[in-house]
Amino acid sequence: MMNRQELYVCRTMAGILLLSFLIATYYTGFDPMAVLLHLGEAWTFLTEDFLPPRFQFTPVILESLAVTVALAISSASVAAVLAAGAAVLGSELLSPSKALAAAVRGTATFLRNIPTLVWAFILFSSLGVGTGVGFTALVITSFAFMTRTFIEVIDEIPAGVVESLTAVGASFWERIFQCVFPSCITGFISWYLYCLEVNIRSSTIVGMVGGGGIGMVLLSYLKAFKYAEASGIILMIAVIVILVDRLTDFLRKKAAE
Amino acid sequence: MDSAQNAEAMTAPHGRQGGKIDIGVAGGGHFIAGFLIGAAALTAASLALLGIDWVRLAGRAGDIGLIFWRMAHFTLDHVDFTLLSFMDTFSIMVLATVYSLFLGLAFGLLAARNVAGPVIAPVVKAVFTFLRAVPTPVWVLLTLVCFGFGPVAGITGLSVHTVAFFTKSFAQAFEDVPEDTVDALRALGATRLQIIACGILPSAVTQLIAWTALRFEINFSECAILGMVGAGGIGFAISAAIQNYDYGEAGLAVFLVFLFAFCMERGFLYVKKIMK
Repeated sequence: MMNRQELYVCRTMAGILLLSFLIATYYTGFDPMAVLLHLGEAWTFLTEDFLPPRFQFTPVILESLAVTVALAISSASVAAVLAAGAAVLGSELLSPSKALAAAVRGTATFLRNIPTLVWAFILFSSLGVGTGVGFTALVITSFAFMTRTFIEVIDEIPAGVVESLTAVGASFWERIFQCVFPSCITGFISWYLYCLEVNIRSSTIVGMVGGGGIGMVLLSYLKAFKYAEASGIILMIAVIVILVDRLTDFLRKKAAE
Repeated sequence: MDSAQNAEAMTAPHGRQGGKIDIGVAGGGHFIAGFLIGAAALTAASLALLGIDWVRLAGRAGDIGLIFWRMAHFTLDHVDFTLLSFMDTFSIMVLATVYSLFLGLAFGLLAARNVAGPVIAPVVKAVFTFLRAVPTPVWVLLTLVCFGFGPVAGITGLSVHTVAFFTKSFAQAFEDVPEDTVDALRALGATRLQIIACGILPSAVTQLIAWTALRFEINFSECAILGMVGAGGIGFAISAAIQNYDYGEAGLAVFLVFLFAFCMERGFLYVKKIMK
């Protein structure tokens, strides 16, 4: 059962939540009943304008789909390599200095807590639109996310293992490549796969604001009121996301074996 | 975005805690080598397809520094607009998450095999798998068309994905409740409602809290970007300021987003530590 401290925390959280809810309701004047009343209209709109979806497999659309997937894969891989290096420096177990470890963690926290699309916007304003900038924005958040999770994986290594290697005279590089990476690689892979799943969704959205790919095509259809074509694209996105989720699930289980 | 994923994804390194480093495991080693080679090949192919002009990108990298320098000098000319936009984002996040929580609980029960049975559960799960596969901003674009500009579109659009997320994770939490608990209650003659209220919900409550906390974090960052695809909120303040070259204002808005996300992350970490 909960002790007194836990109960206190739970009550405080519930209190904050209730207060936020009341403030938000008052501020926006949101009435769920109004939504229910409008649901009929929304439904007619969806069924009449969006259905049936119209699928177009033109070279432009297929290429945009490929660009979106390629953005997700390449940014996740590049970020993973960078993050593996940063995680070694950021882990208190391995880092050459405590201050450096704190600096790496702090940077990762800062980069991670700003959404990908905000990064994309900042970069677009300085570098112009294009896939290269979309790629950079995705690398920033993927890097920050994986740095944090890779550090967590490294911290799972029992401290004695690294200590004993140091004791027998293993150098820094020997410790990293003979001990840390081999024992962490499955953990790294499973987080890399998770990042890949997230990136497929993010690269679609980054595309909408100028990163190229299928997001841009979708937005142009919606802006041109071509809803049947738009819903075709949405279904294609959904199929790709589901396929990638299935594949990463399979690979993750395989890696853990 | 990661902490609750720990449970499923982090099972791998736990197997290694015996103090032994099993490096050369026959099957695993081959798979990992194959995986790494495959990933490298795919990455190379992807980069070739994208054909990014690296020289041009690197040549303009200095501009990024300049932008950050300007963004770090906050200006307060439109601070009232920024704060009101932030309030919009906050409200949309809270309302969408709270309403989705209740809907997610209901649909989560319907999607749990041990509650709804082997016929209904897979159907409900399949529907929500589809809803979850479409990114949130796409849903918001659709609700914007349906409901018009305003918080209602933001709340409903954000809710679609959130309900789907809660349904999946809550159903998982309910299915993790041991069979024995349900059987014992049934044997005592408890009704279906009593089994849910007294057996399943209390056993799953810590997991439900963890998922809800995680979703609050995700929804805040989702909500912060909604403005950039055409809805209101802090995202709109950021993109409008950047488009007007008002970097000091944009910097302040980005900093607000960071500060709130950071405080929420720290807060939930603290709570998690105590609840453990």
